[in-house]
Amino acid sequence: MEYLATFYTHYGAVKFNKHCDAERVPAKLMPVPRELSANCGLCVRFEAPAALKPSEHEDMEHCYAVDERGGYTKKED
Amino acid sequence: MKKTRSKWSVIVAGIIVGLVAVVLGHFGNPGNMQLCIACFIRDTTGGLGLQTTGPQYIRPELIGIVLGAFIISLIKKEHAPKGGSSPFTRFILGMCVMVGALIFLGCPIRMILRIAGGDLNAAVGLIGFVGGILTGVIFLNKGFSLKRSYDQPSLEGVAFPVVNVLLLILLIAAPVFIFFSEKGPGSMHPAIWISLAAGLVVGAVAQRSRLCFVSGTRDAVMFKNFWMLLCYAAILVVVLVANLITGKFKLGFADQPIAHTEWLWNILGLYLVGFGSTLLGGCPMRQMILAGSGNSDSAVTVLGFVAGAAVSHNFGLASSAAGTTPNGRIAFVICVAVVFIIAICNTKKSSAAQGVAE
Repeated sequence: MEYLATFYTHYGAVKFNKHCDAERVPAKLMPVPRELSANCGLCVRFEAPAALKPSEHEDMEHCYAVDERGGYTKKED
Repeated sequence: MKKTRSKWSVIVAGIIVGLVAVVLGHFGNPGNMQLCIACFIRDTTGGLGLQTTGPQYIRPELIGIVLGAFIISLIKKEHAPKGGSSPFTRFILGMCVMVGALIFLGCPIRMILRIAGGDLNAAVGLIGFVGGILTGVIFLNKGFSLKRSYDQPSLEGVAFPVVNVLLLILLIAAPVFIFFSEKGPGSMHPAIWISLAAGLVVGAVAQRSRLCFVSGTRDAVMFKNFWMLLCYAAILVVVLVANLITGKFKLGFADQPIAHTEWLWNILGLYLVGFGSTLLGGCPMRQMILAGSGNSDSAVTVLGFVAGAAVSHNFGLASSAAGTTPNGRIAFVICVAVVFIIAICNTKKSSAAQGVAE
């Protein structure tokens, strides 16, 4: 399943992306899609067996599930 | 399909901002200064009497930009009172960015407008601006952070737009303690309602498109995504064509409106703007938009711009058509040192993160 995580800080996203790389989790750092936020921060799109709890990851704001058509569904915080 | 449309909307935003700039220039704003966040904040600072040696006029464009962003963010339910991310550090960074902008004589928007007018000094300055952004991006990737912001009470997100409404009332009522330049750039402006309407359009468009030169350069460098920079290219093309049609285009270094020819200082001034803005997370225009959308950290940053404009003129740091000043050059060294200290002190080595795969 594909997910997208947004962060409160730029470095939160960079760090999470590095962490995914280290764990060999397929992940990609990218600008936050306009439909998700008016802010211009970074987000990470990644593959994982289940949604993550933002509160358990430093500076993570929200976690969205990405469907096949590119739509986003916000997961419980 | 949706993705493509949002990308093209960024170009449309650039065209609209370019057209607004042309209109503002036509109705009286100074040469190659149809729209400039740094210059206009300096003018407003003067209008309030906080600096007494530079242009003085409360610029309605800025009020419009803030209120435009405020109104559209309310309509789109994106207005969010947030703050608490190292506000005083942001204030200091805002001051440093303004000192750099007034050594160059313009913010990133005016840099583009100057290039569109044929001012090659601004084209040279662009090198420094990009260099500054790249320096900032290196620190961002190494772990620079001003820490996260938090939700704030509603009043915190509304106060800045309200202050701008009060500024508009002061401008229209024009009591004796508000200053108006009688000559020079501060005396050149369109009617209040034209400037205000132009600002409202720019504010709304910039909020919708997230228009920002700094994040545009970041996306180009980090992700090879050039859409936001194309927005600036659109502004450049629109204003360039208008300048060519009206005969205002004049290619060269010498005798450009409100500009000097000290190439090194044009580069260094914008280096400071690029570096500081990257650490702040957005160029001066973006800070105005975020401040209008409820971000009080950006509102504090704008106050930093105001303080920077006040010291730049009161202490003789700001350049003029005659060139930079000795005080300005010393201030540059101090400000770059301050920005580097802030960058280094707020960059930390990464700690272990939680697992993802399990």
